[in-house]
Amino acid sequence: MERVKPMPNQLEITLKPDLADAEGQKICQKARDYFGFELTSVRTVHVITIDAQLTPDQLAAVQSEIFTNPVSQISSYSPLSIDFDWTIWVGFRPGVRDNPGSTAVEAMEDQLRVKLGPDEAVYTSRRYCIQAPHLTYEDVDKIAGELLANDIIQQWRIIAKKDWDPAIGTGIIIPRVQLEHVPTVTTIPIDSDRTLQRISVERNLALNPNDIPTIRSYFLNPEVRSQRAEVGLSDPTDIELEYISQARSDHCNHNTFRGCFHYTDMETGKKEVVDNLFKTCIEAPTLSLKEKKPWVVSVLWDNAGAGQFDSDHYYVITGETHNSPSNMEAYGGAITGIVGVYRDPLGTGKGSRLIMGSYGYCVGHRDYHGELKPRLHPRRLLDGVIEGVKDGGNKSGIPTTFGQVLFHDGYMGKCLVFVTALGIMPATVKGKPAEQKTTSPGELIVMCGGRVGKDGIHGVTASSETFSANTPAGHVQIGDPYTQKKMHDFLLEARDEGLIPFITDNGGGGLSSSVGESAEGAGGCRVQLEKVPLKYEGLDQWEIWISESQERMTVAVKPEHLDRFMALSRKHAVESTVIGNYTDSGRLHITYNDKTCACIDLNLMSSGFPQWQFEAQWFSPKARGLAEPVIGEPRDYNSLLADILERPNICSKEWITRQYDHEVQGSSVVKPLVGAERDMNSDASVIRPVLHSEKGLAFAQSLLPSYSAIDAYHMTGCTIDEAVRRLIAVGADPEQIGGVDNFCWPDIQYHPNKNPDGKFKAAQLVRSCKALKETCLAYGIPLLSGKDSMYVDGHLTGPYGETRKVSALPTMQFSATSIVTDIQNCVTMDVKIPGDLIYILGITKDELGASEYYEHFGYVGSHVPNIFPERFFPVYIALNRGITRNIIASAHGIYRGGLAVHLAMKAMGGNLGMEINLSKVLSEGVDRNDTLLFSESAGRLIVTIDPKNRQAFEKLFQDLPAAMIGTVTDTGKLVINGINSQKIISLSVQDLKAAWKRPFGDLI
Amino acid sequence: MKTNVNVLVLTGYGLNCDNETAHTFNLAGGTPARIHINALIDGSVSLDAFQILVFGGGFSWGDDHGAGVVQAVRMKTNIGEKMIEFIQRGNLVIGICNGFQTLVNLGLLPGFDLDYTTRNVALTYNDCGNFRDQWVNLKVNTASPCIFTKDIDSIELPVRHGEGKFFADQKVIHRLQQNNQIVLQYATRGNRPAEQAFPDNPNGSVLDIAGICDPTGRVFGLMPHPEAYHHPTNHPDWARRKEVAKRNQESRPPKIKTGLALFQNAVNYFS
Repeated sequence: MERVKPMPNQLEITLKPDLADAEGQKICQKARDYFGFELTSVRTVHVITIDAQLTPDQLAAVQSEIFTNPVSQISSYSPLSIDFDWTIWVGFRPGVRDNPGSTAVEAMEDQLRVKLGPDEAVYTSRRYCIQAPHLTYEDVDKIAGELLANDIIQQWRIIAKKDWDPAIGTGIIIPRVQLEHVPTVTTIPIDSDRTLQRISVERNLALNPNDIPTIRSYFLNPEVRSQRAEVGLSDPTDIELEYISQARSDHCNHNTFRGCFHYTDMETGKKEVVDNLFKTCIEAPTLSLKEKKPWVVSVLWDNAGAGQFDSDHYYVITGETHNSPSNMEAYGGAITGIVGVYRDPLGTGKGSRLIMGSYGYCVGHRDYHGELKPRLHPRRLLDGVIEGVKDGGNKSGIPTTFGQVLFHDGYMGKCLVFVTALGIMPATVKGKPAEQKTTSPGELIVMCGGRVGKDGIHGVTASSETFSANTPAGHVQIGDPYTQKKMHDFLLEARDEGLIPFITDNGGGGLSSSVGESAEGAGGCRVQLEKVPLKYEGLDQWEIWISESQERMTVAVKPEHLDRFMALSRKHAVESTVIGNYTDSGRLHITYNDKTCACIDLNLMSSGFPQWQFEAQWFSPKARGLAEPVIGEPRDYNSLLADILERPNICSKEWITRQYDHEVQGSSVVKPLVGAERDMNSDASVIRPVLHSEKGLAFAQSLLPSYSAIDAYHMTGCTIDEAVRRLIAVGADPEQIGGVDNFCWPDIQYHPNKNPDGKFKAAQLVRSCKALKETCLAYGIPLLSGKDSMYVDGHLTGPYGETRKVSALPTMQFSATSIVTDIQNCVTMDVKIPGDLIYILGITKDELGASEYYEHFGYVGSHVPNIFPERFFPVYIALNRGITRNIIASAHGIYRGGLAVHLAMKAMGGNLGMEINLSKVLSEGVDRNDTLLFSESAGRLIVTIDPKNRQAFEKLFQDLPAAMIGTVTDTGKLVINGINSQKIISLSVQDLKAAWKRPFGDLI
Repeated sequence: MKTNVNVLVLTGYGLNCDNETAHTFNLAGGTPARIHINALIDGSVSLDAFQILVFGGGFSWGDDHGAGVVQAVRMKTNIGEKMIEFIQRGNLVIGICNGFQTLVNLGLLPGFDLDYTTRNVALTYNDCGNFRDQWVNLKVNTASPCIFTKDIDSIELPVRHGEGKFFADQKVIHRLQQNNQIVLQYATRGNRPAEQAFPDNPNGSVLDIAGICDPTGRVFGLMPHPEAYHHPTNHPDWARRKEVAKRNQESRPPKIKTGLALFQNAVNYFS
């Protein structure tokens, strides 16, 4: 007999009428700023829909104890009477992660001491009561669709005042997933390459056509077939092909970087074959540096690389991107990205505790009002991304100590969301090296954390394709930092008890990747797929296998440790399930209710697949017709400097930094914001990850994609040099710098119609990788970790219904970290005391190509900055000595915008004046003030010192390019005298700051 | 100097400041233990062995239904009476940020007439509409009975929260004032009342309230994070102060009260 389910109960909660509704006020402000709509007021209502059998007493109890604050809120199980002209209800679509819904269940079960049944649940949604008498339905729909909800994950209803029935309210929508589907394994015919290719397209497998013959020949091999017949298999099953597709995807296998590049310099006709960029430009230099640098602990194989922090601790670092999902659902993509990258250190070695995170966002201009229609306007996209990383980072209890934002129209096609994570592990766990891990036959495969649903299916393959209207939305999901934080605490406790011989995360490719890769240690595995806990029934076996449902780790546990492991799991309220065991069969063997659905030789993945081939054609800047623009020297430098300070990529973005908890864990030494008014960006952040130690870990990142418009080779060199200088400026050790490269490139595979300049983009990638290798070797930077995300392109609709491909500039984010031996020696960028002497280190050249100055006038130019590590590095070493000897009062690199901008930064930082003589600046081939002020030559820093230390300082920089260019003053004015000693700039620090804060200073 | 003052720092369910809180109590001379909420609930750890109970910062249960609400429900349902007995035995309780939010939802604060079960005050969404990390100047009410702030008249600490606006009806506020239960108020850099002006008062708290205690002064809740200022280099101006001190020929920066002082007061209360 079917149980009759009662009507769900819907509780509405809102702030008491006399309390200001900050969220509502924010919506009013955004509606005005974004659309020009005047809303009188917005009140937000939290809606809790309880789809469970509860008594009236139970309902009343949860209403008063959990869901309503008696001091600040009112609530009712019938629609609240709030005045409005329009009501918008926004709820999740079925299957979308509802974090508050889950915690509501936990709280109710705890308070009522009941257990909800499998078909009972709680859902959360919002109702917005909008007072705006002049708005039309279309206006309200715009607010709903473009401000309050994203149709990929949410649904909404709009109700006008006249249509409101106070008894019914918004009505009740239950977004429950119901799949009337019996899990089925399908066998895929492989009678010809064409058949398999067709099925690959139909099933969204994204198999590379070149791989298809290899796949077929494996499954057609008579020996393989007879082995398969023994377990009841013939042609490949869908789960097997999905496994191969995941493992072979560019995201997992890095086929592009492992590809063979046929490079031709079109000017000289010189040809060169670069076989495998990863091996030649990343692996080889890093391994050779590892030989020389004993602090390099573990590189190039694990989820994150490890360096030595002190004799008892190793730090680990990795960087990821989450571009495609963020581009479609900014909040969900970004929170999933940051929470996801935090699983990498947790899954490194035997497990690491998370100690910091950082972000990098590349998006279209916030005030874009052009004619192209991206899925999300850059402003909205950025808002969502900021919020996603905020919730993901803050709720994980991990400080976000560094970040950068870059605006460029090239990211309208696809935005970039870089997320970087650092962790720390003890050098040993129960006497064994903590950085090592492996699986052994007989160990159990345990899945910990969240459950598996349809979410994230084909995420990996989707990020390996260009975004188009047909990209499946199913791969968008919402990370759950709460569940992950519980799992993090649990796994570290289990690690410390020596219960974890192997751990890895479930990210791209889900179990398929984590189990598939971890089975290599033992030499095989057997998985009982029916044991995997699901969010809801009805998933096919292949879906369970490749689902990317978040917050899951795969752990190997010895059978004798299982009881203790599970006891700890229960204590931390984390779900852990044995789903199989490791074997030495040489095969990945998957069953479902005892019937085999996959059985593949593990060595298939490392054998026989063809290398990707790329044609690369380099046209020099000259060959492309790039030349220096003809600009007469400006007369009004005051306005020019103020306007450049206002440029979006220079101006203050304090509003973002302040949303991120950068001090949790109590380790903060140099914060992201420093200076007298605590509002200037520091060059790098420094944390003290081991609280009882005076050692620090410095971290910085840089991004200079503009230079790629001239030459990606110099873009790469300059980006690395900037990251190095940032570390040096705060006092980090130049000899212990570790790097992380994150490449984001447009598609480099040539196609005559779809990608006609693919060969040039491929050449840019080759040149960039060469610069990476040369620069890292020159500075002695092993690449501790790195990732690549290709296909940063999008097809945007224009005003005539046409679509236009928009490709990003070739972009490489470089993250760098190093040790600070004694944090007491750290230096910040702000000038400190009037009378201090100002020095410029390094040489200024005529290098305005792709500079902020040229961009301000709409030019690119050709004189892109070059780096000379053999000349720069001695300067960095000397500065580090000065800092450790405590004779440097402030230090700051000269980055984007050049000398003028960064002098202004220093003055603003100290809230003090400066008097500068440009004639003293060391330069080569420069005879103009504007070039001195705005050239972006690399290798330069500005430092200030106590006049008493002048002799010691100048001795330190004997034979190095260092020149005294002025003094810190108490006038409160930045005064710059030009080459001919005439005063060309005189601006008060207040005016500088007003300009620098104008674009985003009002945002909170 | 090590004392045998045992400090229980709660962990689990999304709490996240436990390591630095335990570290700071250690510096203060206490003997901290990080204890999972469930270990306390299932009885494998007893409150009896402790003198100080810390509800630390974090996002318990994701803060999904109001900050600290679900934690309060879980604690009250399972060990509500034990906690009240713990207070009645003369012990100390401190709630920091999420812990403060939990204490007010439990009713352990404000604890009028030593009734530790009634919710009288709320910590709700910041007026600025967002989570915010910044340092604040705090004026300490030296007339308050609060044990933790003894001999401190002002202090700088970081705040990091999205729901820190202290709110209560006028009668409750008046009573808090009368009883000197208002311990900390947001102030300007010159230590004058912030008068609700942003960002000195970062969240719009009524009467600039940043922290309150119960009538005994032994239960204390505050939004700012004293455990995040246990080392001089935690302060945003430390590098500037260092340089100034050097010029004044001081060997080290002048001794400034850090958040550690609050924890030292707590530990010293028992010695």
